[in-house]
Amino acid sequence: MTIKYKTIKEIKKMISQKEISHKEIIQDVYKLVKENVNLNAFITLNEEKSLKKAENFDNNPSDSSLAGIPIAQKDLFCTKGLRTTCGSRILDNFIPPYTATVIENLENAGCISVGKTNMDEFAMGSSNETSYFGNVHNPWGDNLVPGGSSGGSASAIAAGIVPAASGTDTGGSIRQPASLCGITGIKPTYGRISRWGMIAFASSLDQAGPMARTVEDCALLLNEMCSHDIKDTTSLDNEIPNFEDNLNNSLKGKKIGVVKDLDLSSLDKDVIEVYENSLKEFISMGAELVDVSLPNLALSVPTYYVVAPAECSSNLSRFDGVKFGRRSKDPKSLEELYVQTRSEGFGDEVKRRILIGSYVLSAGYYDAYYKKAQQVRRLIKQDFDKAFLSVDVIMTPTTRGPAFDIGSKGSDPIQMYLEDLFTISANLAGLPAMSLPNGNIDNKPIGLQIIGNFLDESSILNFGHMYQTKTNWHMFSPEGVIQ
Amino acid sequence: MDKKTVTTISYLSRLKIDPEEEEKITSDLENIIKFVDQLNDAETSDIEPLTNPLEKTAKTRTDQVTAKNLKKELLEIGPSSNEDYFLVPRVVE
Repeated sequence: MTIKYKTIKEIKKMISQKEISHKEIIQDVYKLVKENVNLNAFITLNEEKSLKKAENFDNNPSDSSLAGIPIAQKDLFCTKGLRTTCGSRILDNFIPPYTATVIENLENAGCISVGKTNMDEFAMGSSNETSYFGNVHNPWGDNLVPGGSSGGSASAIAAGIVPAASGTDTGGSIRQPASLCGITGIKPTYGRISRWGMIAFASSLDQAGPMARTVEDCALLLNEMCSHDIKDTTSLDNEIPNFEDNLNNSLKGKKIGVVKDLDLSSLDKDVIEVYENSLKEFISMGAELVDVSLPNLALSVPTYYVVAPAECSSNLSRFDGVKFGRRSKDPKSLEELYVQTRSEGFGDEVKRRILIGSYVLSAGYYDAYYKKAQQVRRLIKQDFDKAFLSVDVIMTPTTRGPAFDIGSKGSDPIQMYLEDLFTISANLAGLPAMSLPNGNIDNKPIGLQIIGNFLDESSILNFGHMYQTKTNWHMFSPEGVIQ
Repeated sequence: MDKKTVTTISYLSRLKIDPEEEEKITSDLENIIKFVDQLNDAETSDIEPLTNPLEKTAKTRTDQVTAKNLKKELLEIGPSSNEDYFLVPRVVE
């Protein structure tokens, strides 16, 4: 009996029918971790405590929604007593004295945090090549990137090690790896999930979310992850619906926005075909296509690469070697302590973004870059506001193509930045967006992105779930279709 | 973007750039700035900047101590500390 490739729903059934014990589930997870050590998906494991927690569940059965479900946590969430590195050398010895609210929410629902997943350093990257702890590999091919920055989480799910993982998404970091690894992931509306205890990269864009095999599992996880938290001033206190309630609503008459300004001509024709086939699938379920205009969409990547570095340069100033994390050896002065610690502790991409941030925020350039980018950010949000007056959801491909080879984007950072072309705008506007598998190209998965209106996760989950009742792309694993 | 600007922003960022990396970093930064210069194509004269998608002001709360004092735990994880302070190299001679 194994939990490999099982969904949360299936594991819950196995538990309730006593086909497997809680302890056996966790033992199986660590067996799978060891079999897949080449993926480098985990930075730190939590074996001893996880087994103990499982034994407790065997002795005292619980009916909590995630009782005994193994979940991998992105190494960006602080976990009390468990090393939290954020993929960086500067935090390679950091053991937080508290746990992030969202992880606490999941653990209160009974989940077992089996380990911390590898990621791009400080979530800055789209291929998991910037981690201090080495590349993560995509189980769909030896030399393929898993995407980033939540690449370890995506890879662990795709390999069937865990049914679900937490991720974070600042410009596509849940959706892009979900697309490249053939899994489902959702970034909810900005403010739905508390950012307290999440190591900040760009505070006005960062949002946590679930990654899993199915939309159904994502809805279940979202129910537990969302909460109003007074410790996060941007946490929303709007009513949180039961996300599992409306999954099966009919799509008849529902309207899908298709972005007419989107230039798909640079995409491979296979990618366009996969995308158009998905739209046809929704039409067959009764949905209608409506052209929408997002005229400033092309400016979302340059807007992001001003706003995100600006916020990052400010947020990452806290890593100075004084209060926690790594400190350089034998600094002669306080100034030297700061400079040496940061220069040794941060990798190239993080340094590049801090420098860009310092530049766009410095006197003389602030209006030309930072203020200008924030103005364009409003234009992008206004475009979405207008589009959602006439449609329920907007659909695009999640990525420009399937997973690419490790090292293939070369040393030009802009090539990597363009990887997030379709995903970034949802972060700038604070909208919920999901990626789910909708095809395979050369035996590599690819995803469809569904963007929803502000606070309307329910619609995208409904569209996504209905799609997964009609298609089996989410059932594909690197070893073939899961039976 | 020239070497002088890179020197200034690396000082502001408290990052040291090795001389052999200076050229590559300068050219990377220059390319990124050229890339974001596309923003000038947008007409934004009457547009208010959007700093956060929620556009809400921070909520106030009663000034009450709710958090536990973690002084001991926090000092313990510091790279260098005594029982009251984080320690750094001497600042005042």
